[in-house]
Amino acid sequence: MQFGIFSVGDVTTDPLTRHTPDDTERVRNMLTIAKHADEVGLDVFATGEHHNPPFVPSSPTTMLGYLAGVTKHITLSTATTLITTNDPVRLAEEYAMLQVISDGRMDLMLGRGNTGPVYPWFGKDIRQGINLAVENYALLRRLWTEDVVDWSGKFRTPLQGFTSTPRPLDGVPPFVWHASIRSPEIAEQAAYYGDGFLHNAIFWPMEHTAAMVNYYRQRFEHYGHGRADQAIVGLGGQVFVRHDSQKAWDEFLPYFNEAPVYGHGPSMEEFTRDTPLTVGSPQQVIDRYGAFWEQVGHYQRQLFLVDHAGLPLKTVLEQIDLLAGEIVPALRHEAELRRPADVPSDPPSHAELVAAARAAGQVHEQQVAAGDHWTGKTAEDDIDAADEVTA
Amino acid sequence: MSTRSIVVISAGVSQPSSTRLLADRLAEATVTALADLGQQSQVTVVEVRELAHDVVNMTLTGFAAAPLAAAQQAIADADGVIAVTPVYTAGPAGLFKSFVDVLGTDALTGTPVLLGATGGTARHSLVPEVAIRPLFTYLHADVVPTSVFAATDDWADEGGDDVKPLPSRITRAATELAERVARRPTTARPGLYDAVPDFSELLGGA
Repeated sequence: MQFGIFSVGDVTTDPLTRHTPDDTERVRNMLTIAKHADEVGLDVFATGEHHNPPFVPSSPTTMLGYLAGVTKHITLSTATTLITTNDPVRLAEEYAMLQVISDGRMDLMLGRGNTGPVYPWFGKDIRQGINLAVENYALLRRLWTEDVVDWSGKFRTPLQGFTSTPRPLDGVPPFVWHASIRSPEIAEQAAYYGDGFLHNAIFWPMEHTAAMVNYYRQRFEHYGHGRADQAIVGLGGQVFVRHDSQKAWDEFLPYFNEAPVYGHGPSMEEFTRDTPLTVGSPQQVIDRYGAFWEQVGHYQRQLFLVDHAGLPLKTVLEQIDLLAGEIVPALRHEAELRRPADVPSDPPSHAELVAAARAAGQVHEQQVAAGDHWTGKTAEDDIDAADEVTA
Repeated sequence: MSTRSIVVISAGVSQPSSTRLLADRLAEATVTALADLGQQSQVTVVEVRELAHDVVNMTLTGFAAAPLAAAQQAIADADGVIAVTPVYTAGPAGLFKSFVDVLGTDALTGTPVLLGATGGTARHSLVPEVAIRPLFTYLHADVVPTSVFAATDDWADEGGDDVKPLPSRITRAATELAERVARRPTTARPGLYDAVPDFSELLGGA
């Protein structure tokens, strides 16, 4: 089972020191956090994608591309990549490039975004959110699996004879997760393709999460990708840890009370009771997170939010140390003890995807179009080439 | 014939409240009218005051704590709803509006709803029509034509209005609600997972 951290990259004033990092400081902090997570042995770092303040990570593959060069083991991912408002052609290109640069040490998680105005800012209609996710992902897959794509749809200009480069590493596309909190259509989409499904449970009661995950599992089996309990599931989570649980509570409370998302709403008592937020000792986190499988089955990835609400960098790094040093080894050990042998421990790695594709006879020598059909001396030269390719 | 479920939403905040008094009278009259139509019914009362903090929390966080979630489920499963609020400052109580805001856009689609309101004087009588009915129309509820406003004077012996006294208005509105409830099929509202299109349908529709 994999354990990692995900960041929304919020710029929030520290309620104790009143320090507000500027965007540059926050981006650099994210890089420090990711590098530290790699050094201490966490499995995953995932960055959000946002296009409005107070969030800094607008450009995930730039950040992850850099991290691919300066980290060694950690899987680089997203939480989430906007499948609705990004051009699927750019997504195909950018994430294939990241896959090649990171030598397959990446995957990505698709989501629809939670900020309404991002849709009109990128020329999209929010009421088409689900349809955009469906059409854009169908095109993204084709761009990765087919060398030359002719395509037309509702939301993007048509393509004739288009080849997305670089071609995916070893001819196998990155592993994809789909994330949704309350749209069963997205769980349906993940199940249809046999992709992973992540429920970011951090603001939701576990019963709701369990219902959505179990729906995905049933549909995964329905579409013939394996048994329901073999589906690839991830959960979001949120913790604040100190060895002394009372100290954890006292230290986190002012951050909780002022946090942009839930501050001034439920009390921390209510929120820790009703959602996976756990504030206390390492053992309390182990007890709570070690029991989620009872509701959702064995799952492959647990992500924690640890760097939000204005927490200082030093504190965040200490949280990562506690996770990697004490919590994750215990949770991993328990997960392995109870996991049925034929249920995957982790989401598929690049090497496993390549082996599976070879076994299925899907991967042959890369036959990317031998030359560039397109670039002539002038744009008009392309017309003849286009006729050749699409004839 | 199965037992019909009537859910009463009462948003009065004092104890006892005239809003709850009106709500109980409307519920009683509805049960009687349904019995006249040969249908048994069961009444569940949601006191919004008891859920006030959960309503604000849901407004801020997007999810319902268990007691609020249970009330919302009861309303979504109801065969008929009686919604009664005090009038504050020329409109429904803010708490009532907030409660309706977090019900969800599909919770009342097609549900017969009877509106009631209470206020100090008859000067507020049109508040249910101009300020509350539009909320429920927006939610595609089947709002009965008669809504009932009760001013303080309406609780006098003869009623504040000796031509159309409160009891006659209650009976008329409750009868309208009962007729709609009785006509309704008993099939349950589809759950979150019942109406998901098969993915090939989604693909085709993209």
